[in-house]
Amino acid sequence: MLLRGLSWLIGFQLLGTALNVLFFPVIPGPIIGLVLLFIYLLVRGNVSAPIDEAAASLLRYLPLLLVPPAIGVMAHVDDIQADFWAIAGSLVLSLVISMVVIGWLMQLLINRQARKKGEQ
Amino acid sequence: MNLEWKAALDAVVQHPLFLIGLTLAVYQVAVAAHDKTRWIILQPLLVSSAILISVLVLLDIEYATYKEGTYLLSLILGPATVALAVPLYLNVRRVRQILWPILITLFIGGFFATVLGVALAWLFGAEEMILQTMAPKSVTSPIAMLVAEEIGGSASLAAVFVMITGILGAMFGVELLRFFRINSPEAQGMALGMIAHGIGTARALQENEETGAFSALGMSMMGVLTAILMPLAVALIT
Repeated sequence: MLLRGLSWLIGFQLLGTALNVLFFPVIPGPIIGLVLLFIYLLVRGNVSAPIDEAAASLLRYLPLLLVPPAIGVMAHVDDIQADFWAIAGSLVLSLVISMVVIGWLMQLLINRQARKKGEQ
Repeated sequence: MNLEWKAALDAVVQHPLFLIGLTLAVYQVAVAAHDKTRWIILQPLLVSSAILISVLVLLDIEYATYKEGTYLLSLILGPATVALAVPLYLNVRRVRQILWPILITLFIGGFFATVLGVALAWLFGAEEMILQTMAPKSVTSPIAMLVAEEIGGSASLAAVFVMITGILGAMFGVELLRFFRINSPEAQGMALGMIAHGIGTARALQENEETGAFSALGMSMMGVLTAILMPLAVALIT
C-alpha cells in the first residue's frame, strides 16, 4: 500500500518535472506536481487509501527532510557576516510584521464574510 | 594500535551511510528534546541543524560533502511536497467557502510582505545584491533560488534567507499570531505558509490538519505567484 501511494506521488512529481521543462521553467517540478495531484483529487472526488497512507508517512517526517537544505547556512557565513545587521534586522522585522498583517487580514476578511452571510 | 583506531574512525566517517545515519540520530534526539520540554525554541529542525553544523565543523566535513551524503533525504523532499496536496484537498470545502478572503490575502498580503522585506533591507543599508536576494525570501527555496538568480541576486544566499525566515517563522509564528489574537486555523495557516513556506507548513501540521492545509495552500500559491509576477515586476521597474 505504502509503495503504491509512493509511486503515485513520485509519478506526479515526475510529471511536474516534465511540465517544468516544457512550459514553466521558473516553477519547480514538485510544486507543479502538488497542483496536479490536487486537481487529480478534485476530479476523483476522494483520496485513495494508498495515496493517503504515503502522504501521511512522508508529511510526518517533513521537518527531517528539510534538515539538509537548512545546513546550507554554514556555507554562507562570510556573506551574512558582511551585512549582518541589515540582514538580521530586515529578516526578523519583515517576518514579524508581515506575518501579523497577513493573519490579521485573513481573519478580518473571514469574519466579515461570515457576518454578511449571517445578515442575509 | 593508534593507527588502526584512526583507520576505523575514518572508515566509519567516510562510509556513504554515515551522514544519513548521523542526521537521523540527531533528528531523533532533537524531537525527543522537543517532546520532553515542549519549549517552542527547541524546534527539531533548528536543534538538529545546530547540532549537525557543530559536528560537521568538528569533523572537518564541508557542506558540499554533507549535501552529497544526504542526497537520499533531499530526494524524498520532492514527493513530500507533492503530498501536501492531500491535506489541501481534505479541506477543499472550507477553501471554497472562503475563496475571496484567500485570494485577497494572497495578493495584498503577498505584495506587502515582499515589498516590506526589500524596503527594510534598503533602509538598513544592505547592498543591491542583498536586496535582490531578499525579495523572494518568503517562498519555498527552489522557487526562491531560481527567482533570485533571475532578478540578479544570489541563489545560494537566497536559500539561506529562506531557511532563516522559515525557521524563525516556525519557532515563533504560532505564538506571535496568538498574541495578536489571530486564532482561526485558516488565518494562522495562511500566515505560516505564505511567510515561512515549507518549514512553516511543517509547523502548521503540528497544530492540526486544517492549519496545515491552509499553510500548504498559502505556500504553494505564494510560490507560484512569486515565480510568475516577481521577474515581471522587476523587468517593468528597471
